[in-house]
Amino acid sequence: MMARRIAFLVVSSLTLILVGCGEIDQTAKSEKVYAGKKDTRAEDGLAFGGDKKKWEAALAKRSATQNEYLRTDVKK
Amino acid sequence: MARMKFICDAERCIECNGCVTACKNEHEVPWGVNRRRLVTVNDGKPGERSISVACMHCTDAPCMAVCPVDCFYKTEEGVVLHDKDLCIGCGYCFYACPFGAPQFPQAGAFGLRGKMDKCTFCAGGPEENNTEAEFKKYGRNRLAEGKLPVCAEMCSTKALLAGDGEVITSIYRQRVQRRGKGEEVWGWAMAYKTAAKTAPLGAKT
Repeated sequence: MMARRIAFLVVSSLTLILVGCGEIDQTAKSEKVYAGKKDTRAEDGLAFGGDKKKWEAALAKRSATQNEYLRTDVKK
Repeated sequence: MARMKFICDAERCIECNGCVTACKNEHEVPWGVNRRRLVTVNDGKPGERSISVACMHCTDAPCMAVCPVDCFYKTEEGVVLHDKDLCIGCGYCFYACPFGAPQFPQAGAFGLRGKMDKCTFCAGGPEENNTEAEFKKYGRNRLAEGKLPVCAEMCSTKALLAGDGEVITSIYRQRVQRRGKGEEVWGWAMAYKTAAKTAPLGAKT
């Protein structure tokens, strides 16, 4: 009788464990893939001809003009 | 690698609508579509503040997540753009956006919606740079000309800053340190998942 109980417990616990292994991932896949046309990069226009360094330098220069502490002679 | 962002300094914005006008003029945006707009809180009362709002080009953009036709993409500089040839004007992005950035032109009678239009960070769209086709669909591509968004460049008080996140935060930090207040950066915690306040001067961002 005891042996049957033990066997029952072992089989049921093993079944429970195996059910966990067979679980299908239900997490929604959030990785979206862009389906439209490929865009040209900003530096690939007529103005810079693909020269990324030149484009970044031009943008950095423009960004600096937003800081009036650099434009005016104000002591830091 | 530059990561393009906007900062609106509520301490400086004087509600002049210069950014709104500049944007509409630069891109020839039709009536009813406002890529950028001004929001004022406590209007006419002490503590009144104005904020210039447009697409913040979020790090984890909710518009991209909800689009049923996957017409959104992100450039190397972190600018969120979309393909108008794919857009079906469903309006999901409008409901998902915390900034109310997506706009829809009225395409016909009975409130029929056209294709979505929004701020492009003056970076055009998926057409050849600085072409007629690009201008007609997305407006001018200033970024390809080595220029920053016109709204920020036209801002008379420099309340609106645009450009590489590290550069504009350093400008803002310097400003906050000089005036001793207003370190909260509006919308940043929502858009870029960063701290809502600027870090002390010299600290890494």
